[in-house]
Amino acid sequence: MVVASPKAGARRHTQPSPLRLLTAVPVCDGHDSAVTTINLELARNGAEVVYLGYHCAASAIARAAVQEDVHAVGLSSYNGGHAIFFAEVLAQLRARGAGDIPLFGGGGATITPADERVMKRGGVDRIFFAGTPLAEIVAAVKGAYSRELGPGARLRGDRALGRAITLAEGGARGARAAGRARGADRAGRAFVLGVAGPGGAGKSTLIDELTSRFLRRVSAGRVAILANDPSHPDSGGAILGDRVSAIYAQDDRVFFRSMATRGSPTGLSAAAPEAIACLRASGEFDLVLVESVGIGQEGDPFGVFGRGPRMADAVLFVLAPHYGGRIQLQKIAMLNGSDLVALNKCDQPAAKAAMVEVAARLALNGRDQLLHGTAAARHHDPGVDRLYAEIARLAGLEAVAPGAR
Amino acid sequence: MSSLGRVADAVEAYNGFVDAEVRRARADPEFGAELRTKWAAIHASVGQTVSPTGTLLPRLALPATDEPGAIAEYLLGQGLPGEFPFANGAYREMYLDRREGGEEPTRLFAGLGLAEDTNRRFHYLAGHQTSTRLSTAFDGPTLYGLDSDHEGVLGKVGEGGVAIDTVEDMARLFAGFDLVAPNASVSMTMNAPAPAILAMFVAAAKRRFGPDCVPQLRGTIQADMLKEVQAQNEVIFPIDASLRFLCDMVEWCIPHMPRWYPISISGYHIAEAGATPVQQAAFTLSNGFAYADMFRARGLDVNRFGPRLSFFLDCGLDIEYLVLGRACRRIWAVGMRDAFGAGPKAQVLKLHTQTSGRSLIAADFKDNLTRTAVELMLSYLNGTNSCHSNSADEPFTTPTEEYVRLASHAQSILLEETGVFKHTMNVLSGSPGLLALERQVEHAILDVFREIDTLGGVLQAMDQRYQRGKIQESAHRYERQVYSGERPIIGLNRYAAPSPAPRVPLARTSPVKQRLQVERLRAFKARNSRRAPEALQRLGNAARARGNIFAELLSAVEVCSLGQITACLTDAVGKFRPMV
Repeated sequence: MVVASPKAGARRHTQPSPLRLLTAVPVCDGHDSAVTTINLELARNGAEVVYLGYHCAASAIARAAVQEDVHAVGLSSYNGGHAIFFAEVLAQLRARGAGDIPLFGGGGATITPADERVMKRGGVDRIFFAGTPLAEIVAAVKGAYSRELGPGARLRGDRALGRAITLAEGGARGARAAGRARGADRAGRAFVLGVAGPGGAGKSTLIDELTSRFLRRVSAGRVAILANDPSHPDSGGAILGDRVSAIYAQDDRVFFRSMATRGSPTGLSAAAPEAIACLRASGEFDLVLVESVGIGQEGDPFGVFGRGPRMADAVLFVLAPHYGGRIQLQKIAMLNGSDLVALNKCDQPAAKAAMVEVAARLALNGRDQLLHGTAAARHHDPGVDRLYAEIARLAGLEAVAPGAR
Repeated sequence: MSSLGRVADAVEAYNGFVDAEVRRARADPEFGAELRTKWAAIHASVGQTVSPTGTLLPRLALPATDEPGAIAEYLLGQGLPGEFPFANGAYREMYLDRREGGEEPTRLFAGLGLAEDTNRRFHYLAGHQTSTRLSTAFDGPTLYGLDSDHEGVLGKVGEGGVAIDTVEDMARLFAGFDLVAPNASVSMTMNAPAPAILAMFVAAAKRRFGPDCVPQLRGTIQADMLKEVQAQNEVIFPIDASLRFLCDMVEWCIPHMPRWYPISISGYHIAEAGATPVQQAAFTLSNGFAYADMFRARGLDVNRFGPRLSFFLDCGLDIEYLVLGRACRRIWAVGMRDAFGAGPKAQVLKLHTQTSGRSLIAADFKDNLTRTAVELMLSYLNGTNSCHSNSADEPFTTPTEEYVRLASHAQSILLEETGVFKHTMNVLSGSPGLLALERQVEHAILDVFREIDTLGGVLQAMDQRYQRGKIQESAHRYERQVYSGERPIIGLNRYAAPSPAPRVPLARTSPVKQRLQVERLRAFKARNSRRAPEALQRLGNAARARGNIFAELLSAVEVCSLGQITACLTDAVGKFRPMV
């Protein structure tokens, strides 16, 4: 692998990029106690941990490792079958041109020294045995895997795109060139939808449900998701857990990237504009969904009021019925600035009154903003269907009759 | 207020009632005399026995007091064994030297490889017991409702439990056992796919014992989806659909399987995932009350489903475990009686205990024999109704025969060889230390109830990932305590000696067997390829129409594999979206 630092002049930050890791529990295994503890400890020590969850298929792990462009992948296995499973993850990584991403893991005492020898021969980098202190695991992982990730001229496809975003996060301008691997002729046609809303409104679930509709109704194209999550203010680390509940992102037609805000106060990573530019430039995507962190009343992550760069072709604001009453509603800036509004969790008892209040609030703007009641957690929610149809219309996406697959 | 708030109120009101009665017993001579008379009658009814060394002993230990206040406190605050509020025991007599027909409380969990391998282990274990008590562990693919030929799961087939894909595997699993015998009992640790697995069990039993055998089948299936979402993470369908399917199964079992316990409300996995003893008890009991709400919402009578509920707790080495079972029985009894209007049979918390897997470590692993022995002692001091003891080799393998035998013998030694439990019931109950601890634990459990109630109840708290967050916090604290040495673990952070890797033959499933399972499954699917689609169609329609799916499952399992059933139901109701 080519390891070279971007030119110093091209960097916004003087800090080196934090260690980025992907952690997961293998398929048919729900033991997440150890991995969540280790995630927390790694994040407290400054690492960005992309967590994929439990019961993860080898293909999903490799896909995530590539798209998230992590320094290493860690697996926590307690249900046996580890030798075969780790080997399968390595094979999947190699198949995706990511054989250079180191794989480490542990499984209490279920992984024996004899297993370790077999697994290491197969390419597993390191196994942590039962009783290894947390501090020792953190030190070993940081020591072994922290390094600057360079442009990697030989990277292809999602691997190249993942790296381009990494370079953008490291402060490199013009990173998009690295992402322009294919489809330059189609560059720029992606429709970028910003999704903002307070924490807990259900943005991630709604985005995932929109993804499932895209996959069902658009026959060939791809969708990209940039999920922004806050970095911890003290340690600089982060646990990026949006992939856990993104059940429809387990598909090669979806490019999902988790971004930590790394101190940016806007609700998006400072590298988000560059990352969006990379996604547009790749020409791969029909739709790009950018999820902000949970925002407050004044929040304007996508620059709709002209105070920052305008990043999205349209903005969807998501809120839940418990926003705190009519007066609070008046103060939410994004209700003025968004193009679409979803009142999510509309199956809750408080939703009826909330729909009326939000509609009245939007009417004051005198703009053509559309309000949709959605219940993203409900299977095949018709409200999400209508919202998707509206987005598809704005984005000029191929329309297949609902119900057709 | 959710029903949990009402339960907390009821327990506090009951405590107030007991206090008032104690004062009245002391102040009102007539009431005091009445209590003394009753107390004398109770004493007179207790039989006697002689220990092997010639000591004369009562069959039941009672407080040595004649003071009316103390008598009232004992009878009302704790209750005689088998009497409300059941702190001292679910039944009048437990663990005493067994007479003809009695059943031992020992239950050992087994599951490895293919159905015939586990069947062999069952026959081995049965040789150590007088009654047939078969407790089944399933492999990962089965627990997630996947077939053994599902992409990417081959390495997991038969690992950590038995692989069951079809009704034919189920028949092989229990071959040679008389499942309709009065003292036979089967237990299945199975949750998300529990309705389909129970349907397979029923179908396999009918093939062997005839269509009329169903009411005779006795046992339990775990089927506790709330704790799956909170801790164990084996969830397939969205929460509401998972709970709906579970209720379908319970609704079917109540009239059709009178000897079956269709749900085992489990704290074990909550504790293994990191919960403190108080959190384990509080989350488990609150889940139990949430199920009671759900079953009532189905129109089921609390006095019909109440007696069919059972509980399953972990027993570790923390001091709270000395009283956890006692505290749980008391809260459940008061809550069911006063907040749910349940009659006596539905007030009794029937408890299965398993010693803590999490407390066992790989270093100096034979120390695990001691840990398990101590936990067993605590379990029986809590009056557990049945118990599984872990094998010392569990940190690194599915238990091997040698250590399973030792674990089984540990229980026999405790109950049969030592005199602690077999001569006198409740030898230590009522000790001041236990009672002080029990009060503290009860307070702490009610505090958690209040917190969950504030969040809107169990389901709403779960939506806000309250239980998961609390469990993870506790798990993290435990790890830090272990590594700082604040929590001593002998052989790990204290008195550790560099120990060579344990030499124990590992129980692993060979790739040859894994392929055999896939071949058998494919042959089953090929044989039934013409009949399966119609059965699946009917099942899917029932699920979409929100009807009771259990009857359809009973016919679907005859021709469909578990994976086919899971896929069909997923298509109808969607997939579970995991939580961090």
